[in-house]
Amino acid sequence: MWLWNKLKQLAISLRAGVVTLHYPFEPRPAPAGFRGQPVWDHTKCIGCAGCANHCPARTIFLRDICQEVRILLYDSARCTYCGRCVDLCPEKAITMSDKFELATDNRQDLTQAIELFMMTCQRCGRCYDLEIKNYIDRLTLLGYRYDSLEVRKVIKKSTSEFQPEMLEKTATYQRPERLEK
Amino acid sequence: MAKKEELRELLKAELKDDFIGEELAGERRLFVDVHNRALVKTAEILMKQGARYQVGVGYESRKGGRGLALVHTFAFDNDALIVIVRTFAPEDNPEFDSLTPIIPGAGWSERECIDLLGFRFKNHPGPKRLVLSDDWPEGIYPLRHDVPHDLMPPATRDVVFRLEQPPPGTSIVPFGPFHSSLHEPAHFSVYVDGENIKGCEYRGFMTHRGIEKLAQTELTYNDVPFVAERICGICGSVHSVNYAQAVEAAAGIKISRRAEFIRVVMLELERLHSHLLWLGVAGHLIGFDTVFMQAWRIRERIMWLAERLTGNRKTYGMVIVGGVRRDINKEKAEDIKQVLKEVEREMLSLEKAIINDKTIHKRTRGVGYLSKEDALKWNLIGPVARARGIAIDARKDHPYAAYDELEFEVPVVDYGDVWGTLVVRVKEVYEAINIIRQCLNKMPADGPLAIDLDAPIPSGRQALSVVEAPRGEAVHYVLTGEENKPERWRVRAPTYANLQAVPEMLMNNKLADFPIIVGSIDPCISCTDRVVVIEIGLQKIKVMRKEELETISRKMRFEG
Repeated sequence: MWLWNKLKQLAISLRAGVVTLHYPFEPRPAPAGFRGQPVWDHTKCIGCAGCANHCPARTIFLRDICQEVRILLYDSARCTYCGRCVDLCPEKAITMSDKFELATDNRQDLTQAIELFMMTCQRCGRCYDLEIKNYIDRLTLLGYRYDSLEVRKVIKKSTSEFQPEMLEKTATYQRPERLEK
Repeated sequence: MAKKEELRELLKAELKDDFIGEELAGERRLFVDVHNRALVKTAEILMKQGARYQVGVGYESRKGGRGLALVHTFAFDNDALIVIVRTFAPEDNPEFDSLTPIIPGAGWSERECIDLLGFRFKNHPGPKRLVLSDDWPEGIYPLRHDVPHDLMPPATRDVVFRLEQPPPGTSIVPFGPFHSSLHEPAHFSVYVDGENIKGCEYRGFMTHRGIEKLAQTELTYNDVPFVAERICGICGSVHSVNYAQAVEAAAGIKISRRAEFIRVVMLELERLHSHLLWLGVAGHLIGFDTVFMQAWRIRERIMWLAERLTGNRKTYGMVIVGGVRRDINKEKAEDIKQVLKEVEREMLSLEKAIINDKTIHKRTRGVGYLSKEDALKWNLIGPVARARGIAIDARKDHPYAAYDELEFEVPVVDYGDVWGTLVVRVKEVYEAINIIRQCLNKMPADGPLAIDLDAPIPSGRQALSVVEAPRGEAVHYVLTGEENKPERWRVRAPTYANLQAVPEMLMNNKLADFPIIVGSIDPCISCTDRVVVIEIGLQKIKVMRKEELETISRKMRFEG
């Protein structure tokens, strides 16, 4: 009985043969619809910040560095490749590429930055894109959550709301004694 | 739903003035608010009616002045009903009665509330630290609203978790936090008398990431499914579906039938690959690597299938609140059927080859035995419970998504040991294949993938959703909040309930069976490990190094 079982297992293993792929030496193309590294098309982007507002990993940043230039920065280090930005882009400016071999020793290799030339609306003070056409109506479409010109940045940091007493409590915290014998 | 009426009337009659109110919900949920002093009484009444304790949730009300709230949920599996009992305490005196003396499974939920919200529990047998790290400062409770999600108190060194004293006459063998075969950091301090395990203390939660806090502060409703998916590397879809269902229930959103079927397909694909993964790991842990290699080879086909369907092997990203993101069209359905055919054929031949193998029987029969009574006492769930003769399965008991339309068996055996869980899981592989095939045939041909949410999700509503994960029933509790984000989101993964009973399962087993009982820890104590020898009388701790261990083992061999 024991031998019979072992023979059956041997048959399964032999029938399967070698399944290890010669992967790094033979390329393995990703299947269609694969969610690889997202790529921005700067000619289509209108700087609406829909992707930045809805990125679950908060890895897309938008910032107005002056009245005319808005920077879009994609930092791949935290990206989860969920493809939410692709779903939400009103201009279809983002595509999920089939690139997945992203190991690198330089973080800058994975970062994408787009400088968008914007115009400032004289009424509301918001930036809008003049190069393609007037898209200002579309800016409100996807919930422009963090567009505060005072703060000048898209991602909210809640540390600013943190009570100073609580921070103090943490700073003076005494570590417990090591257990004695 | 006679049971719901009956329970409501019973609670009203028994509690009288302590019954504060009821929140309107669907047929399968009963949300009641009771007075703080009547909590234990309510729990006793419900347990007498045959309830199974699920989870305890604590939260701080953002507004309304009701202070801190504690929610306990009780499932009635035969009546497809879940009772959610909520009680309040003022902010300056957050004291509740502990349920742990009557329901041991409530212990962890309550210890979590102590850690994260600063609750106090009267009569809790062991209110030790559970979730937070040992050097987290006292008096800062992360789930309170005034604590930001990115608070990083300065780390301290040399802080030790105070482990219990082992029973007299036993020694401690520490497993973890980093062990050669541990897949995740956890610490088991196992008390042994010779080769026999006489007890165990667990210290885990070393990978606590604060996902719930993140959802309450930074993320919006539709960001959370993608983060929820990353709670677990194996059953990610379970958590995103579960969360989405809870939010949909709270907001009264009805998603399309087609989307529900697609969710079921993804859930069952996940169950398939998870059970094959477990089978492989179990084989590996008992030293039967043929099973490991072959089970994972079969599993790989499912991973590739998932990659073609969703765009990635794992973390499918299929679910959003209101539906799913990608369709399963005719071509993809054919692809799934083809893969399932191959997987079924290969699984059958693998099962025939290993199921009578002496190696498996000798290592799993009678190992980690727990009687049905103990399993009920600890509220075990999933295959662990079904291997002990308890027929619970959230897919049958509390049908969600499209499961009410599907026909399937729930395999139950009464071996009560590791062998039983293996049998249950192997049978469930075939059931999962059967369910996916039914889904592909019964799926409506049209219908929107995701519906548009035309109104904001109302705030202050509770919802509870259950999904049968490969490991058991996962529970998500959502309290909707302002600003397009949940006010409280509580996840109870199945292992949360099952792990609490592990010390009981380990009792009187051999140390060598420890890995297969826990499922993830290897018995091989490698040279780099250290053994802590505690001499009870002197309370002296002596840590032996590799050389000393070698000397001892050599001496023993030559002398013995």
